[in-house]
Amino acid sequence: MAGDIHLFGIRHHGPGSARRLVQALDALKPVAVLIEGPSDASELLPMLADPDMVTPVALLTYAEDNPAHASFFPFADYSPEYQAACWAVRHGATLRFIDLPASDRLGSSASDIAEEIAARSEEDPVSRDPIGALATAAGYDDGESWWSDVIEENPATGPVFAAVADAMTALRAQEKPLSAREAAREAHMRIEIAKAAKECEGAVAVVCGAWHVPALAERRSLSTDRELLKGRPKAKIKATWAPWTAPRLARASGYGAGVVAPGWCAHLWETREGDRVALWLARVTRVLRDRGHFVSTASVIEAQRLGIALAALRERPSPGFEELREAAIACLCNGERAVWDDVAAELLIGAGVGSIPPSTPLAPLLDDLQRQQKATRLKPEALERALTLDLRSESGLMRSTLLHRLGVLDVPWGRLTDAGRSRGTFRENWQLRWEPEFAVRLVENLLYGSTIAEAAGGRLIEAMSKEAELGALASLVRNAMIADLPRATESGIAALETKAALTSDGQALLDALPPMADILRYGEARAGTVEHLAALMPRIVVQAAIALPYASRNLDGPAASKLRGAILAADTAIQLAQLEADIVARWREALTALLHDDQTTRLIAGTAARLLYEAELLAADHTADLLARMLSPGTPVAEAAGFFEGFFEGAGQRLIHDAALRSAVDGWLLALPDDAFTASLPLFRRVFSALDRNERRRLMDVLFGRGTGGAKGYRLVPDAGAVWPPHEARVLALLKVGAAQ
Amino acid sequence: MSEKLRLPAEDSFASELKALAAGEGHRPPGWALSPRQVVTYLMGGTAADGTAITPKYVGDKRLIETAVATLATDRALLLLGVPGTAKSWVSEHLAAGITGDSTLVIQCTAGTDENQIRYGWNYAQLLAHGPSREALVPTPLMRAMEGGKLCRFEELTRMGSDVQDTLITVLSEKMMPIPELNSAVYAQRGFNVIATANNRDKGVNELSSALKRRFNVVVLPLPDSAQQEVSIVVKRVGEMAQNLDLPAPKNVAEEVARVVAIFRELRSGSTEDGKVALKSPSGGLSTAEAIAVMVGGISQATFFNDGELTAETLASNMIGAVVKDPVQDTAVLGEYLETVLKKKRGFEGYYASLTDLI
Repeated sequence: MAGDIHLFGIRHHGPGSARRLVQALDALKPVAVLIEGPSDASELLPMLADPDMVTPVALLTYAEDNPAHASFFPFADYSPEYQAACWAVRHGATLRFIDLPASDRLGSSASDIAEEIAARSEEDPVSRDPIGALATAAGYDDGESWWSDVIEENPATGPVFAAVADAMTALRAQEKPLSAREAAREAHMRIEIAKAAKECEGAVAVVCGAWHVPALAERRSLSTDRELLKGRPKAKIKATWAPWTAPRLARASGYGAGVVAPGWCAHLWETREGDRVALWLARVTRVLRDRGHFVSTASVIEAQRLGIALAALRERPSPGFEELREAAIACLCNGERAVWDDVAAELLIGAGVGSIPPSTPLAPLLDDLQRQQKATRLKPEALERALTLDLRSESGLMRSTLLHRLGVLDVPWGRLTDAGRSRGTFRENWQLRWEPEFAVRLVENLLYGSTIAEAAGGRLIEAMSKEAELGALASLVRNAMIADLPRATESGIAALETKAALTSDGQALLDALPPMADILRYGEARAGTVEHLAALMPRIVVQAAIALPYASRNLDGPAASKLRGAILAADTAIQLAQLEADIVARWREALTALLHDDQTTRLIAGTAARLLYEAELLAADHTADLLARMLSPGTPVAEAAGFFEGFFEGAGQRLIHDAALRSAVDGWLLALPDDAFTASLPLFRRVFSALDRNERRRLMDVLFGRGTGGAKGYRLVPDAGAVWPPHEARVLALLKVGAAQ
Repeated sequence: MSEKLRLPAEDSFASELKALAAGEGHRPPGWALSPRQVVTYLMGGTAADGTAITPKYVGDKRLIETAVATLATDRALLLLGVPGTAKSWVSEHLAAGITGDSTLVIQCTAGTDENQIRYGWNYAQLLAHGPSREALVPTPLMRAMEGGKLCRFEELTRMGSDVQDTLITVLSEKMMPIPELNSAVYAQRGFNVIATANNRDKGVNELSSALKRRFNVVVLPLPDSAQQEVSIVVKRVGEMAQNLDLPAPKNVAEEVARVVAIFRELRSGSTEDGKVALKSPSGGLSTAEAIAVMVGGISQATFFNDGELTAETLASNMIGAVVKDPVQDTAVLGEYLETVLKKKRGFEGYYASLTDLI
């Protein structure tokens, strides 16, 4: 005797659906539960009821030869499919997936899938989220509120699913014919349902998206359905469970079947009608208080009243998260939307991370690692081994990329031995050593993606979103670029752009420049693209140039020397990056402005003068004048000394070779009163200690006019003009005599 | 035709209110319309008998719904926002829609004292007959309490904090004691308070948290889309130029679009396409300021530039609106000019004149 088929059209990740479904299953007591999902992953389904399985988790199916080609099927606590699976395991019912096998989708060529995605976005939004479409039509923000308003108000369980089926039939009547894949899916489900019905004695519950109910209820001959399934693609696939996160259940994360507010869905699932609003507002209050906002209990009461009044105004039976959001803004956040936005993500999205039992089948990341180890011919060895890579060769680059990506994933199989120096060169030296716990660490990264590249990218993107410092962010971008992770690089550069624009701190802007120049140079050594950055760096230079004059005022000693270091490093970076002439000119203009602004801290002004002098924008005689003026007796000694230090520290060599500069400095030093000289002595020591013994001697020599051999030793005597003519006459006479002989 | 310069909302829109009132709907005590009808009155739509209702507020319907729901729960409503976001306009129309009377207004200033909030005395009566109800001069607040109407407070934060706190008892206990007569005024059902306040101005008196707690706050934002804002500015500039007898130059609409574009980018802290993040100047850069820049520019064009509205005349007006803090804002504007405006097509004139000016 054939089983008795019951179709339950649900809303994916709908707590209302889930609750109704569990009630319906309890009433029906089916012997078999069939769920819309890849049929070749059925044997994994009972694992959902494993006590170690903590939602959200996702069923991950991937092509055996290419794990990047993967699809995820997430489950949350409040997913009807999850509840159905748990129910079936608890009651010992047969449990099966009935949708097209994953091998079908993963076997389709990339272009087929692109086509399908295009087709799907065309079908939007009715077929993707039919209940959502009905809700939107009724003027709701999310399908869940509509569902709970319209469906959950209905006290009888049976008619709910019948009503959904009726609504879907009406919706589908207006739709254009299904794509081949959709048709095949429904055909496959029909066949599977018929098969299960034949095998089982008793009720068979089918849990599927509401959209499919009318098609599955239809009576069609098996042979026409089989016809539809002919010639479907196939591929070898593997399936496993992967931990998932609450934010990735949200539709905003790009998950098409996601919900608007996973946090609210979880709340709907966890609470019952009576105190739902109060509990939600209590959560809102707790989060607000945690963030340091003052919220009184009286305000919470008012928020609840306003929420209920709003729901009444909008003719809804009970407040949804939209009403409570508006009530919370008006009563708890003093009307400030920004305060709400600050806590909204935590409340509406949540931060839950799932976990999977240890018995889960082999993780795809290890699979991917083994494949890449084979491809790059790198064997994991427990003994330390040195490896030198030439990045110009393809194999070298591949190996380096793999090692860098593993580094990002916190699997330090290889350590760069010359990390500091290798940038911009074509050679990398690694020390390799594989530790057994690396496998475990690698698997933990499954959260970020199913291949090493994806996971590394995902992990870096997360790190970037949390990074507050401009300089550190720039070095994360550099890591992403070295590891050849274009998506992470792009998102990092975007983050860098935003952060840079919002930074008004000249120091922070300057700090970001050296790593960026590194990336630009390094990007050339690699095949990676650096276009965005090439556009961003000039912007940061311009911003820094604008911020610089204000940043250089009224600084104390330590702050000034920190800024000085940053300016010098940034100047080097700007020269290295070979920016366009007008950008460099803008930078130099800022330096000039520093020099001419009386409020600039003297140390910084000195630094600016030195950089301009080196760039040959300040003529030697001009510089001598400037030094003379800055160092003149009228200037307070402390200021003069600051300028002096700024100009000369680390550049004592110039004094040896630059006579005009030397004489200006010499003049200033000699004119100093004794006590001022003594006071400045430590400074002079600091400046001149950068010279080695030999250089110091040469400086002494040129100052005291002593020849030390070689062409440099010659010196013009003071009254040469007067002495020379008689000498010349003598020499000429002697020469004449010699010529006559 | 009335000789009054401007009629209150309930008179100008009497026919709409009448058409709405003819419809069905549950009305809270003292309300002339149901909450839904009030929302329709503000946001526009059609009444039950098909009369078209013009929109009074252009913007987010949810905000108006929150405001109306607040008033329906007998909680006081505080409308916050930068100048030029239609706070007073909304409060007037809410009062007109809910009670049909928007004239119970108290304009709060630094000089407002308690007598103007609670009640005053008719001193002739007081001297002749001693303290009595007849000697009391009721304020709009007192009349609203007695009549179950809405009382509006304009610019609540401009009056002193001690005076503001007079409202605390009124809002929480819905009664106003008159200790001189050993009696009290009890609010009739339907009484409520709508206050407006500016959250950007300096030199205003902060609301005490005790008072703040008694209000539900709705912040009215600046216009969402550029088109919306441009049309508001064009409309207002046209009206104001007419009032001032200024002939409107031909290119006003284009220049408004440019000025609004610059204002919006600076205010929102990112370029219109969202690709470049920016810093915002310390001033508010509200729609009202964009209007002032345009009117100033037109006036300058009329009197000093042969009626020709150019980027230079507007730029000099714009500087005043953008640069409120000479050091910080100049840097912000400089950065904006160099990183965004320099490359923006159609804004060359603004770039050149603004760069010259800072």
